[in-house]
Amino acid sequence: MMTIQKKIWILVSVVLLIMGIIWLALTHYNQKTQEQSNDILQRYLRMNEVTTASQQIITNLNNYLLEPTANHKQQIEKSIVVIEAVQQDVTELRNVENAFSVTNYIHLIDSLIETANRSVMFSEKHEIEGSTNEFNEANRISMYISEMTLTILDRELKTSNRFYRGIIKQSEELKKLGIWLLLLITVVLLLATYWFSLSITRPIHQLTKAANALSQGRFNQQIEVKSNDEIAFLAQTFDEMRININDLIVEIQQKAQLEHELQQSKLLLKESQFRSLQNQINPHFLFNTLNTLSKKAYLDGAEETSDLIVSVAGLLRYNLKRIDRSVTLFEEVVVLNQYMEIQKARFTDRLQFKSDIDKSCLDVKIPGLTLQPIIENAVIHAIEPEQDGGTIWFRIKKDGPWVIIEIEDSGQGMSREKMEQLLKGHIVPIEGHSTGIGFQNVVKRLHLFYGIEDLVTIDSSEGRGTKVVIQIPSAREEGNDDEASYR
Amino acid sequence: MRKKFVFILVVLIMIFSYLTIASATKALRSTSDRPANLPFVSDTIRLVLITQELDTPFWNKVGQGALKQAQKENVQLEVWGSYGNNQDDFLKTMEVAIHSKVDGIIVQGLDNEEFKELTKVKAAFYGIPVITVANDVPVEESLRKTYVGSDQFEAGEMVARQLIKEMGTTGEVIILGDQEQAYYQKERLAGIEDVLSKYPDIEMIIRGTADAKEQVMATTQQLMNEVPRASAFIAINANYAGPMIQEIGRRTQVEPYYIYTFDDGVGSTALLEQGMLDGILAQKPEEMGSESVKRLMQWISGETVPLDSNGYLTETRMVKAEGEEP
Repeated sequence: MMTIQKKIWILVSVVLLIMGIIWLALTHYNQKTQEQSNDILQRYLRMNEVTTASQQIITNLNNYLLEPTANHKQQIEKSIVVIEAVQQDVTELRNVENAFSVTNYIHLIDSLIETANRSVMFSEKHEIEGSTNEFNEANRISMYISEMTLTILDRELKTSNRFYRGIIKQSEELKKLGIWLLLLITVVLLLATYWFSLSITRPIHQLTKAANALSQGRFNQQIEVKSNDEIAFLAQTFDEMRININDLIVEIQQKAQLEHELQQSKLLLKESQFRSLQNQINPHFLFNTLNTLSKKAYLDGAEETSDLIVSVAGLLRYNLKRIDRSVTLFEEVVVLNQYMEIQKARFTDRLQFKSDIDKSCLDVKIPGLTLQPIIENAVIHAIEPEQDGGTIWFRIKKDGPWVIIEIEDSGQGMSREKMEQLLKGHIVPIEGHSTGIGFQNVVKRLHLFYGIEDLVTIDSSEGRGTKVVIQIPSAREEGNDDEASYR
Repeated sequence: MRKKFVFILVVLIMIFSYLTIASATKALRSTSDRPANLPFVSDTIRLVLITQELDTPFWNKVGQGALKQAQKENVQLEVWGSYGNNQDDFLKTMEVAIHSKVDGIIVQGLDNEEFKELTKVKAAFYGIPVITVANDVPVEESLRKTYVGSDQFEAGEMVARQLIKEMGTTGEVIILGDQEQAYYQKERLAGIEDVLSKYPDIEMIIRGTADAKEQVMATTQQLMNEVPRASAFIAINANYAGPMIQEIGRRTQVEPYYIYTFDDGVGSTALLEQGMLDGILAQKPEEMGSESVKRLMQWISGETVPLDSNGYLTETRMVKAEGEEP
């Protein structure tokens, strides 16, 4: 990972490196130019030294000839040493152009030394004329040396003219180069810094945008940051947080849904309980009274009435007990039969009840008071309004994993619209139900109990009777949830 | 905004890069057209060609020939000298050359005492060989190793013969030379006299003059007054031909006169081309230069010791004004 710190370090080091290289190069070239000009100056100085040294010899020689002392002789020797050293220096000044002149020059110096020596020698031998002649000659040679120095310098200037001008031009160009380089580096640095800062601020900007979106509740937008530094790491962590929050929200939503459903089922239950309670004011009193009535009827010899009253009492007890728990289909069928007994007593011949029951299906669990309200509906809508009465068919049969319960009547039937309204619960149950539980209540409880929708279907058309079909799964797992949800 | 900023920066970078590169190529170009140093004492042989008449056509040719030959022999040679017959400068140059201990001196002979002293005493003292070129100084007087150049006696003869051929065997001939004639002039004059003395009808008027333009003109004027019927002029010092012709031209037509001289004068060739001169004696200056270097090298390398002290003679021929050969 390229950290921001690393980036800054690299930028600064590169800049420093470039600056350093340029500084070194410029210094190097400057030094080279300076060395060249120093070299040139030195050449001229050396040549000038020759003239000075040769003149010094002449002066010393003259002094000696006038006053031949050891001191003066020493001085001559000293100046000879000096000029020899200078001669050595001059040797190094030879180049292709001036080799001839400089060689001549060196030999001239030799001649001067020799002549001076000869002059001293003659003087020591007291040959005045000889020594004077040699002195004159030495003087002449010294003059030639001066002239030659000028000649050589002149030639040097001529041949090196272009070179010198080159040096001057070069140093001027170097100055210009420095300025251009400075400007170039400045601009390049500006650009590099711009890009560099962008590489830091752009991810931050993206991150800010993402944080904004998140704060406004948009959790499903992926956070993308194209970089490879700490900010990318931050963005990644941020993205993970977003995903987690998103997951949590979905979970909470699901839970709320569940809660809502539970609430609804509880409300339904409450409603049915309320209804039943409303209808059962002091049910125990009613129940005891019914029992007393039954016995009285029996004692009075009205056995049929006694049985009827027992049925009513049983129905009433069932109603009291079973509303909030599941029962077996068998129990439901028993209650249904009791109810039909009562209705038969009411409608006598007008009511025909025919049942066809597959006994193997009777162990299936089913919410309490599911069938009774439907049968009651059939009685109310198909038997009561008909002068000639009607028939109610009740069938339980097995169909694969399903248990099919069919309740069919021979009434007037109903229109399609009414059927749908009924299923969707848009019809408010009319008063008159014995248990106070309507069709809609049954449908909802079945749905809540099995967790499967559309368990109840109605098959009807006007003037042809109505057939309500309930299908329930035969092998329902005996979980605790049904108990829990009904408690 | 951002794009504009980046765009401007990129454009600036391009401009500055170009300027930097242009400047760098100029600044960092090596300016080493300075002659290379020679730290070691190279023992190449140094020769000097010394003349009194630098920058004259004749001596330029001599110098060219010598330089060419020196290059061939791989020795160093420089042409030194004085301008316009300045004898003091010439002698000083000679002395410098001797004190510089050059390996050999090729010199235009000068027929005077100082010159002879230098060659005989100084040069011999330092053991420097001296060769005379174009103008000779007798070996007995100068101890020169040899002479390279024309046979001046023969050259005089050729001029005289040409004169007779054109003028005929009668007439008065004015011969103009130096007051103190150098050896080569004496030779030339001897050659001319040798031929012309055979013709009794030819009268020679020999006159020396001082070495200044005015003097030459004055002498010419005087001669023309003295010998009004002169029909021919010969300038044995070729440098006098110019002033002489100028003076003649001032008085009368130049055409009828037969005027001859030698090619070692400053304006000889130019005068011939203008038709002022009837003929000049052409020598071989380039050959003199190369030959002298060759001979000197032969002596230095010990190939030919001693050199022929009579000299090595180069060709001479007459050149006519029209360019036709005599």
